[in-house]
Amino acid sequence: MKKKNRVLIGDNSRNSLWGFFIILTLLAAPLSQLAAGVLVAPSVIVLQDKSKTGRMNLQNPSNSPKEVSISFSYGIPESDSLGNVNIFLRDTGITDPHSALGWVKAFPRKLIIPPHGSQVVRFIAKPPKGIADGEYWVRVVVESQEGTTSIPSASDAEQITTQLNMIMRTAIMLKYRTGELVASLELKETIVKVNETSVDVIVDLINNGNVSYVGLLECRLLDADKKIVSKNHIQLAVYKDLKRRVTLPLVEGNFKRPYSVAVSITNKGRKDIPSNEMVFGNDLAYFVGLNE
Amino acid sequence: MNSERKMPLNWKILVLLLAMSFLMTASVIAQDVAVGQATATVQTPLTVTATAALAFGTIFQGVPVSIAETNASAGIFTMTGQAGSGISLYLQLPEYMSTATGDDRMVISFSTTDCAIDTSANTDPTTFGNGWVNQNPFNLPTGVIIGGASTQTALFLGGQVLPSVDQTAGAYTADVILTVAYNGT
Repeated sequence: MKKKNRVLIGDNSRNSLWGFFIILTLLAAPLSQLAAGVLVAPSVIVLQDKSKTGRMNLQNPSNSPKEVSISFSYGIPESDSLGNVNIFLRDTGITDPHSALGWVKAFPRKLIIPPHGSQVVRFIAKPPKGIADGEYWVRVVVESQEGTTSIPSASDAEQITTQLNMIMRTAIMLKYRTGELVASLELKETIVKVNETSVDVIVDLINNGNVSYVGLLECRLLDADKKIVSKNHIQLAVYKDLKRRVTLPLVEGNFKRPYSVAVSITNKGRKDIPSNEMVFGNDLAYFVGLNE
Repeated sequence: MNSERKMPLNWKILVLLLAMSFLMTASVIAQDVAVGQATATVQTPLTVTATAALAFGTIFQGVPVSIAETNASAGIFTMTGQAGSGISLYLQLPEYMSTATGDDRMVISFSTTDCAIDTSANTDPTTFGNGWVNQNPFNLPTGVIIGGASTQTALFLGGQVLPSVDQTAGAYTADVILTVAYNGT
């Protein structure tokens, strides 16, 4: 009689299997980071007028050394008439009195981070004397590439080979704060555009404070009974004037017309920025009717 | 004669209640501290990674080579960070590649549809997930976010090299620079 070989998976076997998977995961983790770039933290650096210093951590999670250089540019979120936001980095011709370009220094500015190593970069601000209370801005540009770049050689004397060096730049906002800080946002206009399958809400905002207004913009599409049809939110950073667009899907359902949009702007509840680095200001909340 | 004076039962209960009340207060204070520690903000670092370089392979004189952004040889950048955060992207692209000695150079060009941005977890240009296709690499779309589910966004880049008929054989290099910034901070 043929004997069936059945493998019973007992507690010990299960533990062994789990152990195997854990070891496999631990072994696989470094492989996934072979081509990883440089980690830059925090996402915003805040310098106060008392200490005038700050720091940034750079980490190389890869298996190869990384060449890193630190430079400065000026760039704040700017929008077009449709509420599209972009950041244009500039090095010259900056007329904004809130620019800190030229008086914030980084140490070191060029470094090589070994595999799985980390490095602290320190900042010191030397602001001009008698600057007004408020916030001053500059972008810290962290540029990284592989520490050793090998140019491929052609196998044949008549052949041509190419190597494109993929260089990565991360532009982090650095804010220098001095004196009394005021965060104040004013609503200029709200435009609601009804499309075939969605509603675009374009909110035009003016920063009346002397710091950037960093917060959240939430829009909710409501039916006649104030039931939520759809909702969406975006992170907001208003340095000067800014238009932001939020798109709300027009979903099918048992909803009564006419619709309206509830707009809410607050700089409370940002989880990605420590609360001690926030300058809290006013909130805005209002309704806009839809012309369908 | 026993000189010890017994404490009345009521007093004992009172002392016991006071002790319990003190211990409970201490416990509540300890809990307060624990809650305070638990609400610390963990910031997600922004990381830009060059996952793969745009690879044209071996080229011959007078024969242009094009790589589409959906080709396996396309250049790949990946950005990881705070899920759902808006980012601004800017590419600086070369107009030519040059030899190490600088004695010859070869034209490299990028068309207005040579870029794609994928906000899903996908980093394979041949299996596009979700986002923007056929984009102009000189004018990247606004409204790009770090993928909500994957906390990752990938940029795929194609291009074309145009070697002349008398192009010097050898190795040519150039830089492709991607700048990334959060636009909500």
